[in-house]
Order: sequence, then C-alpha cells, then structure tokens
Amino acid sequence: MRSMHFKSMIVAAVLAGCMAAGAIRAQEDVKVTHTSLKAGDVAPDFTLLDNQWKQIRLSDYRGKKNVVLAFYVLAFTEG
Amino acid sequence: MAKLEASDAVVFGISIDSPAANNAFAQKIGVTFPLLSDMNRKVLKQYGILKMYNVQKEEYDWAQRTTFVIDKKGVIQSVEEEASAINPNNAVAVCTKLPKK
Repeated sequence: MRSMHFKSMIVAAVLAGCMAAGAIRAQEDVKVTHTSLKAGDVAPDFTLLDNQWKQIRLSDYRGKKNVVLAFYVLAFTEG
Repeated sequence: MAKLEASDAVVFGISIDSPAANNAFAQKIGVTFPLLSDMNRKVLKQYGILKMYNVQKEEYDWAQRTTFVIDKKGVIQSVEEEASAINPNNAVAVCTKLPKK
C-alpha cells in the first residue's frame, strides 16, 4: 500500500514537472516565423479561392500586373 | 487603393478565413479587391509567415501580417512585416516606382 502511494506520488511529480515545462515552453513559444523571402526572389505561385469562390492564380498576373499581397490575421479583426 | 490601381497593381488580401467569412468582411469594410482564403495554410507556409497566436492558452497558427509587392515578372520587390494593422503606404510607394510596362 505504502509503495503504491509512493509510486503515485512519483507519477504526480513527473506529471507536474511535464506540465510546468510545457507551460514554460508555451510562454517562450510566442513564435514569429519571419519569412525567408526577400526582394529579388521569385514569388511562389499559388491558387486560392477568393471571396466569390473564384480561383485566383498568382502566375495569371505575370506580365500583366504588379501584385500586392497583404496577409492579414483574421477577418473582422483589426487587420 | 486608387494609387495602387494607377500604378498598374492589383491587390489581394489573404487570410485563413473561409470565402464566406471573407465575403462578409469585404462587404462590411467595403473593400473592392479580392480577399483570398488560405484555409489549409499552404500559402502561409510557402511564404514562411505562419505565426503562433496564444488565445486563452490555446495556440493557433495564423498569418504574420506581411505585405509583399510582386512585379510583373513575378519577382518580389518588397517585403514588409507589420506590427499592427496593414499599412499600404509602402506598397504604394514601391508600386509607383515600378516600371509601367
């Protein structure tokens, strides 16, 4: 009985340790992924649906228009 | 916007929202340019701008606010990360300097 209790204490301690480590990591992990793309690089091509469910392909604009891509976080937030 | 159109540029907004959400958003804020849905985060990964956001102790990977200007040859002319809401001034400045043809 005593050893059972001891074992469960160890398990609890290990769990607590893991959770603490996880919490610390989560705090450090305000990860910002900075793009490795830079001026002079070829823009990766893509096809995405627009807000009218129409496919937009970046390479369709090649030779025709300059393109500004504005990535935003979420709709209905402040950009 | 008028300045960008005058400099022969098209503008696309991109986020992980669905087309339906983007359409409602477009109507609400009255944007005239298309809002693109990167629902599987494919383009965010291609462009390397996934950012972890911690909301009520859960993590979400959404876009880092970034503006790319791409010229007619498909070459990136400027990359600008934004701390808060997207500011078009730099994109306008870059586009205005690009050759018209």
